[in-house]
This record gives sequence, structure tokens and C-alpha cells, in this order.
Amino acid sequence: MNREALHESLSAVMDNEADELELRRVLAASEDAEMRATWSRYQVARAAMHKELLEPRLDVAGAVFAALDKEPVPARRLGAWPALGRVAVAASVTLAVLVGVRFYNEADATGAQLAERGAIPASVMPQVQEPAVLAGYSLGEVEQPQAGRSAQGASEWHQQRLPSYLRQHAQEAGLSEGPLPYARAASLENR
Amino acid sequence: MRALSIALLLSAALVPPAFAEEAGDWLARLAKADQQQRFHGTFVYERNGSFSTHRVWRQLGADGKMSERLLQLDGAEQEILKVDGRVQCIAGGMADQVEGAAFWPSRTLDPARLQSFYELKMAGHSRIAGRQAVVLLLSPRDQHRYGFELHLDQETALPLKSLLLNEKGLLLERFQFAEFDPFAEFDSSSLLPGDACRPVRARAEPVSVKAGWHAQWLPPGFELSGVVERKGADDAPVVFMTYADGLARFSIFVESLNGSPVEDARHQLGPTVVVSRRVTAPEGDYMITVVGEIPFGTAERVAVSLSADEGVVASP
Repeated sequence: MNREALHESLSAVMDNEADELELRRVLAASEDAEMRATWSRYQVARAAMHKELLEPRLDVAGAVFAALDKEPVPARRLGAWPALGRVAVAASVTLAVLVGVRFYNEADATGAQLAERGAIPASVMPQVQEPAVLAGYSLGEVEQPQAGRSAQGASEWHQQRLPSYLRQHAQEAGLSEGPLPYARAASLENR
Repeated sequence: MRALSIALLLSAALVPPAFAEEAGDWLARLAKADQQQRFHGTFVYERNGSFSTHRVWRQLGADGKMSERLLQLDGAEQEILKVDGRVQCIAGGMADQVEGAAFWPSRTLDPARLQSFYELKMAGHSRIAGRQAVVLLLSPRDQHRYGFELHLDQETALPLKSLLLNEKGLLLERFQFAEFDPFAEFDSSSLLPGDACRPVRARAEPVSVKAGWHAQWLPPGFELSGVVERKGADDAPVVFMTYADGLARFSIFVESLNGSPVEDARHQLGPTVVVSRRVTAPEGDYMITVVGEIPFGTAERVAVSLSADEGVVASP
């Protein structure tokens, strides 16, 4: 990995200007000690610029991982999902830390789903070779997975319709059932 | 006598169905409480790329009808008021496409039916919103749906926290109360909608049309809950079908392409996947879009299996 590119990405993340690729790059490198040291230095520099007080050696991620290691694994958790508790805690910590930043943490999930798709007989799965596209916050940011096609009209077609489809799907339950589907429907409007 | 009771205890501990039974009992309590229990509280909803806070008030009226008001506390004022499961008014972006909505009957939890598709387990205790809760795991019995972790209030059996987890245990969405009070009186004016809440005339009867399309494969347990036809983006008709297994849901949209060169597409938005697939029918090409809180593979299979009623070998 090119250090310089990584540092640029890191800087972009700090400025809340990172795109999906940059964020992934930074997240992937977040266990690297040197990377963390750089992050700390950037924070100090930024704090100095903003005249904020900051404890420069505060390593939140390190503390979180240490806490996770110490946490006892519950005796009766899902057999099919080992270490679920740890993952859920880690996920919630990540979410809590990154609230407000556009982020994408489901590369892992999609990988698994792709693997699952691969397990289905090819006769019913003619599109396995096409990678899944992760849409994050808004459908306006969706990329087409394949280059060199007359994709302009195609993506427009989807962009005109998918938000409405999502809404109709969410609302059909969200309006007649309890708080959870309602919140799901409302979250689609928070763009 | 003592030996007998110890033996009974042991046998109960060794037989897993006891857990499932207890979990089923909790779900039954939840279903009942959902119809009757008043409460008010504040909760957060979080999914990939979105975090929001909401307040909810619920009260059983003198006429035996449940009134419920939900209000988003941050960002745009999303609001909804329901009486007896019927939407009275909506504020915010959600109101945009509500005219002509079908409002199919609300879901009622059926523990016996759910056990065919989810393994129910008790998983200890927790503390949510300052209250004691029991933890219920609903793990899918196949790869066609996601798992839930529910934290039910020990006192009322209402869900204080609900997590949606994929097959790797990754968190897809979180719903969690920060404050929950099932007993304190609240001013009935709390149930009055804000000025921005626009009245909705929900149709008395669900609108049903003949779909003209059917899925030759459905994940086990998913049943058609409704079909409507609506006007889409170009005023062209869009067939809209929804399916549910009693907990998870997905929708299918079918729209004619009118010769547009549109490709297949796949997206994921938090817990919701979108799979669009082009199909060729005798009268022209259509785009089939499956939207739901189900794994990609399941949505793909449903999309692939959808075919027009005419000119197709009837499935058994």
C-alpha cells in the first residue's frame, strides 16, 4: 500500500471528505501502529489549528480492542454465529464512532453473500460473475459495476425508480406496523 | 420427592424445546402487549449510513382503539399518527408517495408459525433503557432470511431493542429505546399531531389486482400479502407485490422497459437489498426489482424465478 495515498485518505477521512474507497482503505489499515501514530499526529495538528485541547496519546481503537479482548464470551450464544457478541459490540462501536461520516462496512457481508450465490446452481444464477454494488447513503452515488456500456441511460432509469421502490417497500409495513418499520421508512428520507 | 424434582429439573434442562417454548411464550406475550400496552419513550434507529432519534407515544383509547404517534426528533420532522392501525396523518418526506397506498393489514406475530423458519432461543438477560430485559434470539433455519436479537422488557414483553444480523453475525440495523415508560400518565395532547402532519385517507379495503406475474420459487414460509398496480415514473403501470414470512418482508416491482436499454443492478442500503433483473416477455422487456430485508442470494433467486402468467409453462 502506498503510504502517501494512505495518508491522503486519512486526511480526507478527518476532513469528512473521504469517498467510499478512501474510507475502506483507512479502515483496512486501522490496525497498523504506524497508521495510528499518524492519525494521532494529524489530530494534534488539527487540534492546534482549531485551538482545541486534546490528549494526543488517546488511542480509542486500542482501548476498544483491549476491552473486547477482556470481555468474557457469553456461554450461550448462537451456535451458528460464533463470537456474535464480540462482532456486535465491535460493530456498534464502529457505528458509534463513525456516526456522521458516510461509511460502508458491509464489504464483508457482501463477500459472504457472493459466496452464497456461488453455491447456487449456475443454471438459476446467470449473473454470478457480476459483482454486487454497494449503495450507501443515497442512490445518487451508485456506481455501475461495468465500464464501457451505454450506462448513462441505464443508471438514470434506476435512479428514477429505485428510491420510489424502496419507499413503497418500507412504507407498506412502516405505516401499518410498529416503531421499527416506521423508523426504517423514515431513515430513507434522511438524506 | 426431592430426587424426583431434581430429575425433572435435569430433564427440563436437557431438552432444548423448553427453551424454544419459553421463547415462544415471550413472543406470544409480545404479540399481546403490542395490541394493548400503552407506553411512551425515545428510541434510536441506526443502519449503515443513517442514525436517527425518535419519540413514540401509545395509548389505548376509551373506545378500545390504540392510538400511536411517532415523531423523529432530529433532522426533518418525520411524523405519523395511527389509530387502530390506520394511518391518520403523515409529515415529512414519507408523505410524498402515500396517496393511493394500499395499507395491507398489519402483521401479527405468530410464534408457532415463526418456529418453522426461525429457531427461537432465550439468551439471558440484559438491561436496556434502565429496565430489565430478556434476550431472545431468532436464528434463521435456512440461508434465506436474517436473524433477529430481541431484548424484551421483563415487565411488559415489549421490544426495547432489536438487532438485525446477517449470516455472519454482522449488525445490519439497530433499534433501541433510550427511555421507556409503560405506566406514567402522559398528557393526551402528546397524541395530537403537529401542524405539518397531512391527513391521509387510507382505503378501507386492501386493493388487490391480478398480478399477471408469479414467482416460481419463493423462500420457504414467504407468502403473498398483497398486490397492487400503481403509476410509476413515466406514468406507466408498475405491479407491486409484497411477501412476508411473519417477520421478514420483501417486495417485487415489475415495470415495462418500453425498449429502454437498461441493465441489471444490485444495491444494498443498510438492511435492505435491491436486485433488478431484466426479463424478456413476448410483448416486450420488463424490469423485475426485488426489494427486501433478505440476503442477496435469496433476492436473486426470487428475481430469476419470476415469470409472466401467460405463455409460460404453469408451475405446479
